[in-house]
Amino acid sequence: MQATFNVYRKEPGPNSKPGRSTYSVEVAADATVMDALLKIRDEQDPALGFRGSCLRGYCGDCTVRVNGKAAFACTAKVAALAKKGPAEISVEPIRNMPVVKDLIQDWDAFLWNKIDATKPWLEPNGSTADGEQRIPDTVMAKVRKAMSCFYCGLCDEGCTVLPVDFNFLGPAALTKASRFTWDPRDHAVRERLQILERPKGMWDCVHCFEASEHCPREIAPTERIMEMRDEAFKYGITNEKVARHHLSFAASVKRSGWLDEGRLAIESEGLTNFKGLMKLLPTAVKAITRGKAPIPYLHHKREGSEKITRIIEKAEANKEK
Amino acid sequence: MKYAFYPGCVSKGGCPELYPSAVRVATKLGIELEEMRDVACTGAGVLPQYISDPINARTFAKAERMGLPIMTICSTCQGVFGQANLRLQDPEYRAKINREYLAEEGLEYKGTTDIKHLLWVVMEDYGVDKLKAMVARPLTGLKVSPFYGCFLRRPPEVVIPSKEFAGRKTYLEQLIDIVGAELADFAGKGKCCGFPVLTANEESSLGMTAKHTIEAKSKGADCMVTPCPLCHLSLDGNQPRAEEQEGKEINLPILHLPQFLGLALGFTPAEMNLKRHIVSTQAVESKVNMIA
Amino acid sequence: MQEFDVLVVGAGAAGLRAAIAAKQAGAAVALLTKVHPLRTNTGLAQGGINAPLGADDSPEAYAGDILQAGDGLCDPGVVQAFTQQAGDAVMWLEHMGVPFNRGADGRFDRRQFGSNGKARSLYVDDRTGHVVMQVLYEQFQRARIPLFADWFVTSLAIDSARCVGVTALGLRSGVLDSFGARAVILATGGFTRLFMPSTVSIGTTGDGQNLAYQAGIALKDLEMVQFHPLVFPGGNALMITEAVLAEGAQVVTAEGQPIANLIGATRDKICIAILQALQNGASGVALDLTPIGAQKLHSRFSQTNELIRNFTGLDPAKDPIPIRPVAHRPIGGIEVNVSGQTAMHGLYAAGECACTGLNGAGRLAGNILTEAVVFGARAGEAAAAYAKSAPPKAFPADRLEEEKKRLEALVSAGKSEDTAGHIHGELGRLMSESAGAVREGSALQAARGRIHALKERYAQLRVRNESAIYNYELVAYLELGAMLNLAEALVVAADARNESRGAHRRSDHPARDDRNGLCHSVVTLVQGAPQADTKPVVAL
Repeated sequence: MQATFNVYRKEPGPNSKPGRSTYSVEVAADATVMDALLKIRDEQDPALGFRGSCLRGYCGDCTVRVNGKAAFACTAKVAALAKKGPAEISVEPIRNMPVVKDLIQDWDAFLWNKIDATKPWLEPNGSTADGEQRIPDTVMAKVRKAMSCFYCGLCDEGCTVLPVDFNFLGPAALTKASRFTWDPRDHAVRERLQILERPKGMWDCVHCFEASEHCPREIAPTERIMEMRDEAFKYGITNEKVARHHLSFAASVKRSGWLDEGRLAIESEGLTNFKGLMKLLPTAVKAITRGKAPIPYLHHKREGSEKITRIIEKAEANKEK
Repeated sequence: MKYAFYPGCVSKGGCPELYPSAVRVATKLGIELEEMRDVACTGAGVLPQYISDPINARTFAKAERMGLPIMTICSTCQGVFGQANLRLQDPEYRAKINREYLAEEGLEYKGTTDIKHLLWVVMEDYGVDKLKAMVARPLTGLKVSPFYGCFLRRPPEVVIPSKEFAGRKTYLEQLIDIVGAELADFAGKGKCCGFPVLTANEESSLGMTAKHTIEAKSKGADCMVTPCPLCHLSLDGNQPRAEEQEGKEINLPILHLPQFLGLALGFTPAEMNLKRHIVSTQAVESKVNMIA
Repeated sequence: MQEFDVLVVGAGAAGLRAAIAAKQAGAAVALLTKVHPLRTNTGLAQGGINAPLGADDSPEAYAGDILQAGDGLCDPGVVQAFTQQAGDAVMWLEHMGVPFNRGADGRFDRRQFGSNGKARSLYVDDRTGHVVMQVLYEQFQRARIPLFADWFVTSLAIDSARCVGVTALGLRSGVLDSFGARAVILATGGFTRLFMPSTVSIGTTGDGQNLAYQAGIALKDLEMVQFHPLVFPGGNALMITEAVLAEGAQVVTAEGQPIANLIGATRDKICIAILQALQNGASGVALDLTPIGAQKLHSRFSQTNELIRNFTGLDPAKDPIPIRPVAHRPIGGIEVNVSGQTAMHGLYAAGECACTGLNGAGRLAGNILTEAVVFGARAGEAAAAYAKSAPPKAFPADRLEEEKKRLEALVSAGKSEDTAGHIHGELGRLMSESAGAVREGSALQAARGRIHALKERYAQLRVRNESAIYNYELVAYLELGAMLNLAEALVVAADARNESRGAHRRSDHPARDDRNGLCHSVVTLVQGAPQADTKPVVAL
């Protein structure tokens, strides 16, 4: 069958402007977009740049956007695309990913360097017994789930933080790091959490669930990140600003059953952080003049709040590290 | 139609215009609300699950006792409740929470509580036809951008538990049409407003505030409507700071869902407390007042 | 130029393991690879990794199964060394973080896979290779070994019969550079892309085997190629892990007749059984995974389930999946001893590109990953020891310039009717027809002639892409050159073995000939042509 492709092109270098090339190619009935690209490069345009390795959808190297949707070139079937979509099948890089050349994306900047920054290896305890340890399979199953990730980049592509802050570690790197949190053979959990709590790390996630929605393997990266944050709460949050915010929130709910927003705003900045508190002033003034500023600390306790206090005290005592 | 009403914290705190407008709208529509008073904050995704799951299970148990489904007016409350409720469907986990935290108070959560946001209540339980009939002042000529708030759209297994709820992805657009307003569609409508990361990374947060409001404006929006007061705090409350960071004027009024619906039902801007916002809603008020 | 004690080429399981071992032995190590470590063909290994760790198992029992699968050609000394070390090598993986599936008692769960007499394959669902690869890469990162990813090695640097480094093309920069080393370890993987269809990734093109072959190193047992029986032949062909047979899946004819006696059979026997069924009139053969059940397909075989659905459009919980035998892995390769040493000083090889004599004429199912970690580590240690003791030797002064000129001469813009892709396609189909699971003498000889013709066409080709950065056309061209050389050598070796043994089947010599055939084949490049010879099986 004949198929026409409209492919994103860009020469290497910061000054080149992106463009498009159109190719018509004859492919087999069961051909994939990867087959078409290989044929185009072989017969028509040897300079066309694209990546690929496994040819069967399990290595994550050929992630692209086909007709505007994230896909793997090696499993996207040309026949189905030609039947459903526009006359020209569009192929372009995925979002949030810097491009080196054409469809060759810069995985170093996008993902590999970020993973490198998280201490992404097991630190075995030197005194581990030499033989087989008994570990429940439910524990290993959780690790296996996170490790079924094949670094396709789609969670990072859907992330709402990365377009605004490219230096955010991103769901892929964070999910990979999260696996060590539940692996009883690792002895660097606390240390790794401290690395992940730094600015641009796990606390920069807005838990919008885009990552979980984009993951093709149901690894649920957003949930993994939230669980890691809960672990950090148990160990004691090391990111100072976040710690102030979270502890103030918890103290407020524990005391009165609901949130004292005024107190939260102040304590997040820090009671002695003059500069930070001054920054809040313009918004606070506007809010006060419009009658929407909750008065901090003069915060009445809800009905039944002592029951809430009791539950929270119990939960804090119960927490297992 | 009767619900255990859960107003959350912000609707009476940082967004006090939300609570009365929600109650007014519900009353006008004939939706009966029995407010839950002795229940806790949901935790808003800030409190870790080992604290928030027990206190939310307690809320669900109380609603179960009332024999009523819960109605929320905040996407964040809705999301945290929905996610917790899904976890509590696991019988072992629920039994553990009941045993360790609720039994002392003589409570037990049986797993049956249903939780719906006001938006879902009007679109599903109240019904689109009935709603259409209640529109007293069609908002003709008003261009509106919808902003859902993440937790009203994701994760899919919580928001759309079965195919019949697939419409939840477009209720705001549908509502805009029902009240006679014009849709100013834009890509950011289902994205994050930036509120959750305000503490950890203010620049990121304000960047998101700016991105979505600027985009909506570029599509011709007169205002934005949102079912989440935390989104409102970010999009409205932080709009001046976002303007400063971007070096750009935005000036886009943000309406709470009940305010928007309320105007269409015939309430005045004053009755909907539009004067409380940080970003002036004057332009919207003028447009609405011109409609007979 | 960059200089290291030990240079590893290839970032699959064997390469990573070798690099870690060399670093731990005190060498300054670097690793060059044409694809990122997490994109290598190691991910193809799914079903499990063998280790004699069960209470009912032993290195001796393991050795017995290897010898049986090897059909008389295994080197017993190598088998013994390997089976003694396998347990520790796999335990090390677990200690470094591989989350092997566990039984109810919290101990390793093990599969009985292929012709293994015991359940000795530890596994991670059906993505064992993918997870082992991640753990190895993590430990590689922990060892802080410099990684040169997207670098393509174009030649070995040899001085006075000693390997002193490589020249490599940096794909991202487009610049050719030289890397000096006291020892080079080739761990470049298999060569099955010279068959079409095959089960392997795009880059499995035998680069390392060709580099060694050009340097005069013998390629051993090249005719022994493992065909995988359970491959969906459509498109680029999808291999389904043999572990499904151990868990209830059945091979049936299109008419619904189950093919008997496949549990516990060696891979080559299953392939022959399938081919025989087709010869006997079955219109097709399929794999019926329904006995595994939807629940297990979702949990234990979730990757298999996902790949089948995405690739074939079929649902393994309901539909039979059409299969036939397809070229999978080489058993032969660069001749090395049990420590990965080749006949050339300073040159080592490990993993699928190497032939230690362990597998003889047939590889036991579940061995490939174990080989990667056992022999990878051994090669790393041996290379590090050599690097420590070897006298320094300079990188030949004009090697880099010569190589630059050679590569430049290949590039010439302009139109051409003939392309590398066309030649590769013809080669692949030729090899599948003439050097497939069953071979025949005259066809092999004819094939050699046709490979010659393809090589002549190849010599006329030019690389038309003149831009330097990420010139994948140049890479594909060089890979094709390697495959043409290896195809020729393979066909020569297959023609020289006039018997059927293990993975090598001759329709014109259907029986085993223990009088003349109990020897390894070796092919060396002599005056530009492959020369076949034999070597005795090394007695214990």
